[in-house]
Amino acid sequence: MLKIENLKKTYGKHPALDGLNLTIEKGALFGFVGPNGAGKTTTIKILVGLLAPDEGTVTINGIDAGREYQKIKGLVGYVPDSFGIYDNLKVWEYMEFFASCYGLDGLVARRRCTALLEQAGLLDRADFFVDALSRGMQQRLCLARALIHDPELLVMDEPSSGLDPRSRTEFKELVQELNEQGKTILISSHVLSELAQMCTDIGVIEQGRMVMGGSMKEIMERVDQSNPLLIVVRGSLDRAMAILRSHSCVRTISIKNDCISISFTGDSQDEAQLLQQLVDAEVPVTRFYRQQGNLESLFMEITDHEDKEVLQYEVKPDL
Amino acid sequence: MRSNPIYKRERTVGSRSIRIPMILTVFNCILALAALLNMYSMVAQVEVTAEIQYSAFLELYVFGAVIAFVMILFVMPALTAGSISGERERQTLDLLLSTQVTGLEVAAGKLMAAMHHVILLFVSSFPVMAMSFVYGGIRLWDLAFLVLSFLVAALFTACIGICFSALCRRTTMATALSYGMLALFVAGTYGINQFIWSMANVENVSYVNQIGGMGGQVNSGGFLYLLLLNPAVTFYEIIRGQLGRQETMASVGQWFGGRPDNPILGAWVPVSLVLQVLLAGVFLAAAVWCLSPGLPKGRRSRREKGPGAAK
Ligand SMILES: Nc1ncnc2c1ncn2[C@@H]1O[C@H](COP(=O)(O)OP(=O)(O)O)[C@@H](O)[C@H]1O
Ligand SMILES: [Mg+2]
Repeated sequence: MLKIENLKKTYGKHPALDGLNLTIEKGALFGFVGPNGAGKTTTIKILVGLLAPDEGTVTINGIDAGREYQKIKGLVGYVPDSFGIYDNLKVWEYMEFFASCYGLDGLVARRRCTALLEQAGLLDRADFFVDALSRGMQQRLCLARALIHDPELLVMDEPSSGLDPRSRTEFKELVQELNEQGKTILISSHVLSELAQMCTDIGVIEQGRMVMGGSMKEIMERVDQSNPLLIVVRGSLDRAMAILRSHSCVRTISIKNDCISISFTGDSQDEAQLLQQLVDAEVPVTRFYRQQGNLESLFMEITDHEDKEVLQYEVKPDL
Repeated sequence: MRSNPIYKRERTVGSRSIRIPMILTVFNCILALAALLNMYSMVAQVEVTAEIQYSAFLELYVFGAVIAFVMILFVMPALTAGSISGERERQTLDLLLSTQVTGLEVAAGKLMAAMHHVILLFVSSFPVMAMSFVYGGIRLWDLAFLVLSFLVAALFTACIGICFSALCRRTTMATALSYGMLALFVAGTYGINQFIWSMANVENVSYVNQIGGMGGQVNSGGFLYLLLLNPAVTFYEIIRGQLGRQETMASVGQWFGGRPDNPILGAWVPVSLVLQVLLAGVFLAAAVWCLSPGLPKGRRSRREKGPGAAK
């Protein structure tokens, strides 16, 4: 469906994209994650034909976006990180205006607008002025607008930033509904956990490059492996440390506030054995657990190179 | 060709805003006030001398035309300078350009909306203008020609405004630069002729002193033809032509030292109108180029760094 190869873009001397590769299959709900300034917006702007890359190619359904961008625009729906709201226009006029931007008018446009407003839950607000809507509604309107020409690929740039939890959930449901109806969707965010629940695939971008990618299932497996085992012990740590050091599955050990954090390669049976060992040695263990399947910490690990050590300690035990 | 969606939207929004009615009101108030005062003084004169001065109607015509012309020069940049940068500020420009609307359609839509307003301005002022037209010896043909020159001036200034609007990120900057550019065309072309001519005079005088005899005629040379791009000069020439030769207005050919007649001086008005339309096209093309997505490397980043890039 979408294939990005070796995409490069520099602003002045500063490289925003540095050889980005990305493939999205048809029907996927792709989560495009990266910290601020990683190059998500730049990638998306190139994708929708607003920006020309310095190097590299973008192909959508086999069409080269660099050469036939006018054609690409008919295939892609774009929800930018800002809403792009016209004051002085009513919801209905807003939709009809963008319909006419795609050459749709008359009955076709009216039908399409009605259907989309209905789906976005805005049909009863059709006569409201756009800037009188709540943020959540504006966001849904923006989504409806991006679908006006029935695009095959929907691209959304940090759509849920600035929304309250309720509208966020509603928005998420809407996106999932669209995905189930067969739309391929790319959605970017700087919060991985936000996308984790709904996406089928995830790609992590960092400093203009993909640093991790794959289906949700693959990622979750990696997450479990990479999470540290946390042990909290009362009193002296010496006996516990002795056991841990001699254990074959333990890779590294770090300590912060009586909390021992070890990277542990074994499975749950190995974990049980280790606990037994500690108890047998009369180590007063108060807590012993794998850090929860936290995507965020993996994300941090991948994207935050310098602070890696510190981050390992900053684990709040939540049972 | 499908109808321009931008133009359509501008009309919807324009019909809701107070701006256009305000401009129309102010413009017509000034015009009507001038006409009434003019009539009043005329009637007062008739009461004393029992003589009707028909030339006063002609004055009214000239006065109305000047006001309309000045109004266009002042209003058009304000109307157009925010047209594209405003979209950018509201962050809707990317939305527009991500649809199948082309940069040309955006620029053309904005231009059409601006011209729409100017035409509205003319039509609304017809009743007052007609007063001079009834008594003043101005023919329908003259009026049509005047309106044509207004349209060209409006097109010219609108395209300048749209060009800077596409170029600058901020509307304030775009407005300032549009007025600056307009000033360059209106006052700058005049000023440079004045300067060159006075320089030539100084040289001539010192030359004359050296040889101790009569110096030849000097003028501002080829710089005079820069005035072809000056809408105010075109307007002046049209009015001069319509007032007839007995008036004391000097033709452009006699300005800045004068020069022998040539085809360009002879056809000053049509030549300048054509040139101004062409230049307007260049400005519009520049705006479209700024909006086109197949942009050359680095251009957009330069522009997005700030309005300073427009210099
Ligand atoms: N118009 C621009 N001019 C100069 N630098 C830019 C511009 N847009 C983005 N950048 C830089 O490019 C990098 C990537 O930006 P962006 O794609 O917006 O990141 P993200 O959307 O992931 O937060 C950032 O370092 C940013 O500073
Ligand atoms: Mg961004």
